[in-house]
Amino acid sequence: MNKRWKTFARVAAAVYAALLVFSWNALTDRARRQTESMLDYAMLDLDATLNGSIDTMLMHTAMSIIEQLGTPRSLPQDEISLIARQRDLDEVNIIARDGTILASNDAALVGDNMGNKPKSAEFLVLTNGVRQALSHHFRRGAHNPEVRRKYVGVAFPGGDGLVQVGIDESRVIGMFPSIMGFIFDEWLLGEKGFFLCANMFDGHLISNPARHRDEARFLAETGYDVENPNIVEDGETTFRMRLFGDLCDCRARLFCGHRIVAALPPAEYYSTRTFYVLLVAGVLGLVMLAFVILVRRIDISSGRLQAFYAAEDDRRAKEFAIASTIQNAALPGPLPPSEEFSLAAEMNPAKEVGGDFYDYFRLDDTHFAFLVADVSGKGVTGALYMMTSKTLIKDTLTTIHDPAEALTKVNGELCANNPANMFLTAWVGVLDLETGVVTYANAGHNPPVKVEGRNTEFVTPKSGPVLAFMDGFRYKSFSLRLAPGESLFLYTDGVTEALDASGALFGEDRLRDALAASPNGDPTSLCRVVRAVVSAFAQGVAQADDITVLAVRRNGGDHGAGMSRSFPATQAGIAAASAFLDEVAEAAYGKAADGFPVSALPTLHVVLDEVAANVVMYSGAKDFEVRVRAIIGEDGTREAEIAVSDNGVPFDPLAHSDPDTTLPAADRPIGGLGIMMVRKMSDSISYKRDGDRNVLVVRCREKKSRPRAT
Amino acid sequence: MQITKNTANGRLSMALSGRLDTNTAPELEEELKLDGVNEIVFDFAELEYISSAGLRILMTAQKAMMACGGKMTIEHPNDMVKGVFDMTGLSTVFTIAP
Repeated sequence: MNKRWKTFARVAAAVYAALLVFSWNALTDRARRQTESMLDYAMLDLDATLNGSIDTMLMHTAMSIIEQLGTPRSLPQDEISLIARQRDLDEVNIIARDGTILASNDAALVGDNMGNKPKSAEFLVLTNGVRQALSHHFRRGAHNPEVRRKYVGVAFPGGDGLVQVGIDESRVIGMFPSIMGFIFDEWLLGEKGFFLCANMFDGHLISNPARHRDEARFLAETGYDVENPNIVEDGETTFRMRLFGDLCDCRARLFCGHRIVAALPPAEYYSTRTFYVLLVAGVLGLVMLAFVILVRRIDISSGRLQAFYAAEDDRRAKEFAIASTIQNAALPGPLPPSEEFSLAAEMNPAKEVGGDFYDYFRLDDTHFAFLVADVSGKGVTGALYMMTSKTLIKDTLTTIHDPAEALTKVNGELCANNPANMFLTAWVGVLDLETGVVTYANAGHNPPVKVEGRNTEFVTPKSGPVLAFMDGFRYKSFSLRLAPGESLFLYTDGVTEALDASGALFGEDRLRDALAASPNGDPTSLCRVVRAVVSAFAQGVAQADDITVLAVRRNGGDHGAGMSRSFPATQAGIAAASAFLDEVAEAAYGKAADGFPVSALPTLHVVLDEVAANVVMYSGAKDFEVRVRAIIGEDGTREAEIAVSDNGVPFDPLAHSDPDTTLPAADRPIGGLGIMMVRKMSDSISYKRDGDRNVLVVRCREKKSRPRAT
Repeated sequence: MQITKNTANGRLSMALSGRLDTNTAPELEEELKLDGVNEIVFDFAELEYISSAGLRILMTAQKAMMACGGKMTIEHPNDMVKGVFDMTGLSTVFTIAP
């Protein structure tokens, strides 16, 4: 929280600073542009005023001459010179309509034609009877290149000739203070700006801004430094100069021997910039503050939300704990060890309690019921429903031993009272401990797997609908047979639908592989292996569904016929083992449940002979053990199993390839045939290294008086 | 295992009854004198089963007969024994009379 606030404050400060810098820059730019345009305007205005004033003065003078003469005419030299002198003019010319200079104070010009000189010819426009006056700027004249002279011409009435008067710049300089001083005195530039006008040569100010009237008499006293390298006095370049204490934006130009400076103190535009920037800073600050307050309030709200969620989580956790307690309390405890069967079961609740459960209980001395179920709902509701269903199934099954009938009844009762619209899947089996037959019924549950050594097989007869869903449905019973040593593995969809990190399903194939890989097929091992493989598959991904497994194995295998005995690893030992086989077969023959498959006896003899000979010749063991038992397969076929074990060097006969029986007899290696024969004659064969013992287990079925031909 | 044998004019007839396996094979090997024999006839009518130990002796005998241009016949093997010959590919090597 604190860190978040710090980050937020940093971001806000950065945004604020960026906005201020931006507005500062924008306003500075604006002030600079305003200053420039004001100075441009001032310089244009100044130029018009200065020139205009002199033009006006000269025009009035020329007009006084026109009035005096009446018409253009020749004058005696002394008379025209007097006219010029009286009016402080440097040049006066009287010109006829055709451009001929009739009279001039410069006697040399009399008789010339104005049209002969390009600049002078411009004045002849005044003879067109329309144009009244024309003025030229000061320029160096043809008569004397060292003198800058200004001419103004005024037409006689009707364009009948003209009077041209000229005045030298030097003369204007003398007149400047009296003509121009007043202009500058009251001429303001904008609101705060002002003009300075000083004599170029002595620096004497002819004009003081009204505001600073008594502060300076010479330009230098205003602070203006003519030596400053930054100044360009062309009237177009703005430079900065400290005047009367303020750093002003200035332009300067020289005019008629005078230096004219237009100055804008910063107060003119830049003060508004400062004002606006302060304004922006204030408004922005308020906006930011409002924003921060808003965010803070949102944060408080979200804090409340988080507290609410935390409480909700807490409530869920409590509910989970309650549901877990119910769920676990509902599960049966471990069974006392039994010689007839063994069972293991495990339930691992998911992050939310699902409704998985399993149950097992004896129905009578020879029947044992086991089941796995999955209730659709989660949480306390699911757990309670699970509790109800479990009790109902157990009670019903205890009365009605047939799973299908029991499920039919349970379904009816669940449908009659199902306000929450929940349902459950269940697989219920009853094992006959005498025959190994499992009678079962399925209500929409995953098919169990029958496990026999490395062989796995899904039990997939048609299933009925889920319980509590379709009232009046009659479930059907099916049966399978567990031979001694075979297991049935039940599970919930949490196993096959476990997900890995990429979202892939665990699936049925992986389940079969896990079961086949179980080192020995006892229920605890089956459950543990499946759990471990699912965990490895999920790799820490939290599973959404409970993972429940149950395995039941039919034990025994003796059935009066299974016997084992040790023999020395000698020729005599092999003979004794052969005799033992006959002994077992005879003892088992005709036994009610699992008679010995006598028809398979010759085959069994060959198998035993080959395997025992192998041990005697190659294993290096001192003795070997033979266990023989009769079992009955699922389809009722009788089988005999011979297991030969020895503590000799590790040797897997199945890992060796068969000899090539297609070679001509003369080329055949003698040997290796024995194991090939065992493989071909048996119905199943497996090897394992169990601790320090090699164990080879071979099974042969009855009605197999004749081995399969290749 | 019981062995009944009869030799005449280089023709050796042997009738085996019982089991021919690791245990009994050495007996057969002992009885199987092939000097001057160029034809062997085994009567397996009474033979219960045969293991690879027995097959080795039969194969040795077959090789000996092939080497001297003689011949070997196996008569009346039961299904079990015939099955073993089949699965080991020896039914194509041996001459078997039903």
